[in-house]
Amino acid sequence: MAEIWIFAENREQTLELLNAGRSLAGGLGAKVAAFALDGKLAEEYINHGADEVLVLPSLAEDQPLESYVSVIAEEARREKPDIFLIGGTQRGKEMAARIAARLNTGLCSGCTALRLDEKKQLVMERMLFGGAAVQTVVCTTRPQMAAVPPRTFEQASPAKGREGKVRELPPVPGTPVTVVKRTPKVRESVDVTEAKIVVCVGRGVEKKEDIALARELAQVLGGEVGCSRPVAEELQWLPEDVYIGISGKKIKPELYIGVGVAGQIQHVTGMRDSKVVLAINRDENAPIFDAADYGIVGDLYDAVPKLIKELRNALKI
Amino acid sequence: MLNTIACFKWVMDEADIKSDPKTHELIFDRVGYKISDYDRNAIEEAVRLQEKHGGTVVGVTVAPPGAKQCLKDALSRGPEKACFINDQSFTDLEPGQTASILAAAVSKMEYDLIICGEGSSDLYAQQVGPALAEKLGIPCATYVNKLTYVEEENKIIAERKLDDGIEVVCIQLPALVTVLPEINTPRIPSLKQVLGAAKKPVDNIGLDSLEGTFSPCLKTTGILAATMERRRLRFGTEAEDIRKVVEALLKEGVIA
Repeated sequence: MAEIWIFAENREQTLELLNAGRSLAGGLGAKVAAFALDGKLAEEYINHGADEVLVLPSLAEDQPLESYVSVIAEEARREKPDIFLIGGTQRGKEMAARIAARLNTGLCSGCTALRLDEKKQLVMERMLFGGAAVQTVVCTTRPQMAAVPPRTFEQASPAKGREGKVRELPPVPGTPVTVVKRTPKVRESVDVTEAKIVVCVGRGVEKKEDIALARELAQVLGGEVGCSRPVAEELQWLPEDVYIGISGKKIKPELYIGVGVAGQIQHVTGMRDSKVVLAINRDENAPIFDAADYGIVGDLYDAVPKLIKELRNALKI
Repeated sequence: MLNTIACFKWVMDEADIKSDPKTHELIFDRVGYKISDYDRNAIEEAVRLQEKHGGTVVGVTVAPPGAKQCLKDALSRGPEKACFINDQSFTDLEPGQTASILAAAVSKMEYDLIICGEGSSDLYAQQVGPALAEKLGIPCATYVNKLTYVEEENKIIAERKLDDGIEVVCIQLPALVTVLPEINTPRIPSLKQVLGAAKKPVDNIGLDSLEGTFSPCLKTTGILAATMERRRLRFGTEAEDIRKVVEALLKEGVIA
């Protein structure tokens, strides 16, 4: 029987991929197997659509998560799944690339959509050229592999009375990469991916202090402040947690407001799924206007205070 | 002494790619080429390590013969030699093929460390680095934003910047790393370096000298411009215009 395999480094993404996996399983008449980093998650994964849970052994303190590559690839070589979906976090992307290399199969990374064609082949979509184009690929070897970015799919919903097998995998051999230090990320800021309204700061904002203007706008609307990549990485005015783009956060708010954002394709890829887009930029040729429903062409230092005032009036704040 | 290979890719400049508004087909008529952005960081990091520890830096690329001009560009950034793995068939390679071709050539070279960019600016599949490490059977560390070579123990300490925090790993050489753009700021080549690049040696490696077959596993069934349905309405900064924008947002139901 054909099998669909799922591996992600955390529970949330495993549930997202179970959702995607279940809908493919329907079309293929296939079983879904999910890897679990902890045996305690097995029951939950089964309730959310897994027919089998493969429990990975625990790692030594100094082994990175990527050490699972050998065990997973070995298992895949033996069991020959038809489809293998991997949660496309950074670690997930590395592991997917290495597993695909070991199995000599094709991998669609950054996969944003999945479906089956009439021949029951997996049709995968991904972005090209920094998000300017969409490429559709099929994989002629097995397993057909895809690394799927977090939050591409909704989490699977639980069903009562589901049953599944649980299987423990063999221990991981010693690995040549040793972890000498781990520093978990301190969450300084709120999660921009959860915000209904995001005010995004671009390079058009001249000074760090002027971010206050964007903050005020966000506050009036009950939204959060995000930024483009250079504002976080080059200028370091805002934490890297909040930069939006192909290599940063992908957001889908009700309203996106770009304040001095030029709209490079890499940025637009991170906000293209916003419901409504408002852009404020001095340069009428800025590409952000092509990605916007409403564009205010003008100096942000003139437009934003006026906008705040008008919003206060309209929303009676 | 540290012998480093820096891998780079010659890519279309995505800013030059246009699309047909009706058919959504991509138009490549006036497209310029460049060294993929993050590969400049890879080359720069290799050159910085050489300045500190001595040794060699070789720039390696896989491309069709027509991409020859990439060699001068890469060599002007510091490597003393380039390795040009080229064949007419090396166009639109998928990451797995590129990794296998690189592995076939690199396995015959002497190296301690291989540095790749985090991903290429055209495909951004982020596969070649880790896949190349697997094909060569050497360990790797991805998403590195700080790299130190410990000479006396012939190992590297790599700081990986990940979604959930920083992870510092230690790896005995030979090894491969992929680097993030924030690891360094690539130098702009001086005129002297640009002129000097033409005199540096290039190893031409053809398909016939590579062992193995490099067949694709993926089949592209379509490439179309990413489209977005947007209203694209324009306003000025006059009070009346701002009022219209706010009214529209209220009507859309996105603010309340």
